[in-house]
Amino acid sequence: MKGVRKMILDDVSVTFPRGKSIGLLGRNGAGKSTLLQIIAGTLELDRGRVIRQGKISWPLGFQGSFQGNLSGEQNVRFVARIYGVDTDELVAYVAEFAELGQFYHAPVRTYSSGMKARLAFGVSMGINFDYYLVDEITAVGDTNFKRKSQQTFKEKLSDSDVIMVSHSTGTLRDYCQTGIVLENGQMTYYDDINEAIAVHESNMKRH
Amino acid sequence: MREMSTRFGAKPGGYLWAFLDPVSHIVFLSVIFMAIAHMPPLGTSFPLFFATGYIGFQFYQAMAGYLNSAVSGNKALLSYPSVAPIDTVAARYALQLVTTAIVAIVVLGYIVFTVRHPVSIHLPPILEAIAAASLIALGIGLANTVLFIMYPIYEKLYGIITRPLFLVSGVFFLPDSLPPIAKDVILFNPLAHIVMQFRTGFYPQYRAAGYDGFYVWCVAASLMFVGLVLFTSCRARLRDR
Repeated sequence: MKGVRKMILDDVSVTFPRGKSIGLLGRNGAGKSTLLQIIAGTLELDRGRVIRQGKISWPLGFQGSFQGNLSGEQNVRFVARIYGVDTDELVAYVAEFAELGQFYHAPVRTYSSGMKARLAFGVSMGINFDYYLVDEITAVGDTNFKRKSQQTFKEKLSDSDVIMVSHSTGTLRDYCQTGIVLENGQMTYYDDINEAIAVHESNMKRH
Repeated sequence: MREMSTRFGAKPGGYLWAFLDPVSHIVFLSVIFMAIAHMPPLGTSFPLFFATGYIGFQFYQAMAGYLNSAVSGNKALLSYPSVAPIDTVAARYALQLVTTAIVAIVVLGYIVFTVRHPVSIHLPPILEAIAAASLIALGIGLANTVLFIMYPIYEKLYGIITRPLFLVSGVFFLPDSLPPIAKDVILFNPLAHIVMQFRTGFYPQYRAAGYDGFYVWCVAASLMFVGLVLFTSCRARLRDR
């Protein structure tokens, strides 16, 4: 398959401070999700390096990263093993959190997208990361589940930070204190999320 | 690690197919050849002759087929940073090796106990044949995971080219009994050597004329080398897909 090569980061050096949550802004296709994958370590840089301190999650997306032929529970077990956390504890936590009922033991490919998102969210909340990488997912499910997940997530943020990609400036203001704007291969860090949002919005107006 | 294997390896349909495939081949070949010949080229049992050939061959064939899709079949799990593409290959290798070994023990064990003459089994050549077959498959599998992604047309060509492999690996005949020219051509195929060696473990009287262990291991080592080099140099692209 042929693809288009695009420069995402060009001669950039940024330190993400601990203790502050960061919102990642940029136009469509600027490379926000790619940047999250680079931070997570699923993508390698062509040149340069990423120095990570602390436990970083995989990029949390809507679909989750599940093997379709295995049940939700088996997938959770797998994640528990590769992240070295207590298997039974995590399985029990997700069972309660995700509210999948009987579907928890059914293959993931039979899930609705809402169920997958709930499972994905549950797994990530069950493991204590120092950094959560969030790609456009904070609110999934119906109103009740939304309220519960937002509350859990906010609790997590007392010890953990989040690096979040979102097109919703409201969500970003809600969760993040600082921001990064990705534009033309340049990554600019702003101490104040509102400033980052302002820069991003003026970028959007220019085109 | 066991957990990883089952996770990466999860096969739809379960293990039943792992048995059904060799058993149906062995039965099919036995029935056909029993109709056209009185005696198998070795020993007196058609099922044993075909089982030793087909299962020896399967240590390569089933392995290569399974490894080719190790990365593409586990794409979802590769989004976890702690899962490397090579893990999926290693896990599938271990799982397939154990699967084929269990199939071999059950199927060959059953045949050995039901034939009238006692069969003396000599393990070292069997194990060496298995090691060589599975390493050749591993080398090819490593190279193919990369090449299939980069050149989709190659995947089609590979399928066409390797289809007759079964016919030229000496599964249902002995390369020794071919005319000299045909024999020389067949023995370019390292799998023919592997099947011959596998059989020597079951037929003490079989001399396997023409078997060249050095050649087999040279092929296995070069394929492993090429596979590892390709896989390592392209591992960044493997996750991408």
